[in-house]
Amino acid sequence: MMKNSRQNASNRQENFGENSKKGQKEPEQVLGQNVPIGSADYLAPESLNKALEYRSRYGYKAVVIAGGTDIMVDYFEKLPEVTSWLDLTKISALKNIEITREEIIIGSLVTHLEIARNEELKKYLPLLAAASSEVGSWQIQSRGTIGGNIVTSSPAGDTLAPLLAYQARFVLASTEGEREVAAEEFFVGPKDNIMEPQELLTKIIIPHPPENTISRWWKVGKRKAMIISSLTMALLLEVNKNDRIQSARAAYGAVAPTPLRLESLEEYLTDKDLQEVELKKAGNLAEEAISPISDIRGTEEYRRQVTRDITIEALREMQQR
Amino acid sequence: MKITFTINNKEKTVEVSPHQRLLDVIRKELGLTAAKEGCGKGECGACTVLLNGEPVASCLVLAPQADGAEILTVEGLLSEEGDIHPLQQAFLDAGAVQCGFCIPGTIMTSYRLLQEKANPERQEIREALAGNICRCTGYQKIIDAVELAAEKWQAGGEVQ
Repeated sequence: MMKNSRQNASNRQENFGENSKKGQKEPEQVLGQNVPIGSADYLAPESLNKALEYRSRYGYKAVVIAGGTDIMVDYFEKLPEVTSWLDLTKISALKNIEITREEIIIGSLVTHLEIARNEELKKYLPLLAAASSEVGSWQIQSRGTIGGNIVTSSPAGDTLAPLLAYQARFVLASTEGEREVAAEEFFVGPKDNIMEPQELLTKIIIPHPPENTISRWWKVGKRKAMIISSLTMALLLEVNKNDRIQSARAAYGAVAPTPLRLESLEEYLTDKDLQEVELKKAGNLAEEAISPISDIRGTEEYRRQVTRDITIEALREMQQR
Repeated sequence: MKITFTINNKEKTVEVSPHQRLLDVIRKELGLTAAKEGCGKGECGACTVLLNGEPVASCLVLAPQADGAEILTVEGLLSEEGDIHPLQQAFLDAGAVQCGFCIPGTIMTSYRLLQEKANPERQEIREALAGNICRCTGYQKIIDAVELAAEKWQAGGEVQ
């Protein structure tokens, strides 16, 4: 659940040395007193404050783990290189789903399985619930967390396009306090984001979508399960009773270095009668706005063509609903 | 470090290192070798066990993360007399086992599915087992086996 964590062991040792010169305590001294589970290498705090303390002290030197479905793969056959783990899974404060009048607040440790099966989330945030239900497999969904998906920041992360479409905000906490960041500003490159080494993602805040919202989630991959998406789409239109599109949000994953919203397509759709949307024009706008790469999950040409096709198909379905 | 968990209804305290995986603890420390290591990356499902009631890839769980947890493996499905579980029998009766490597994982996911849904559709079985890869059978007989187990339970027994 952490970026830039792959330093080698000698780097980490040097960094510890530098820190101690600056007057910080040696981590080993602290560990014995604070780690209930009883190991110098394994930090498993039950409170968020304790976790943030560790985070400010260790930064990248402790590998943050929650569900482990990304981290354990990153460290496959290199687990002994990790000198310190910061395991978040005992922090129950990060496992809540709270629904207020204005917002839906999801703790960063909520699993994909919990999101996929939560009746209220299915009702209020169908794009997110659908995306979570297609992550990996049952085994992956029962461990993998929404926070992990966000912090890993893969352009192909399944929940990311829905989070952009829902205009989610992420709460990043540190011992200094909290800051809230819009999903769109969070991702800055493949597996890269704006988080600082002392921060933890604690909550995802999503404003309630208006009631007259229609939406379509689409995941394209070589098979249905256990696949890294070739591309994802979360399309959301707010349509009034005269079938006029009042607002449009079109978010795509795995078609650019970060998940992204296609402003040109959104502008084209906004303030238009749904029935008057020219499907080909919308498809072309989507195709032009993305900047995909060719990789083992699809060529650039394939991604452009499929982006166009699923955009057209989703809008067609919406017109015929 | 010491961790304590319940596995197959028995409480165990085990000395583990922080970077040991739950799969290694189950196989090497406890000698329960039903769960297999296939890919080691959570993709094949051969290492599936139930952790706090849900299927997980035990190769992706750090051993210390299982502290306080409840774990069920195929060994825990046997009756006190050592008889195999009706679900296992259904796999035999349906001819769903060839090399057998993936079967312990497949059984655990199927077991959880049948706990949740007594009479699943074939499509639901396929979706539930999407994370359990089998190179031998072509899956049809595995799905037959889960259906057969569901029928047996409906007729007589119950999922424990």
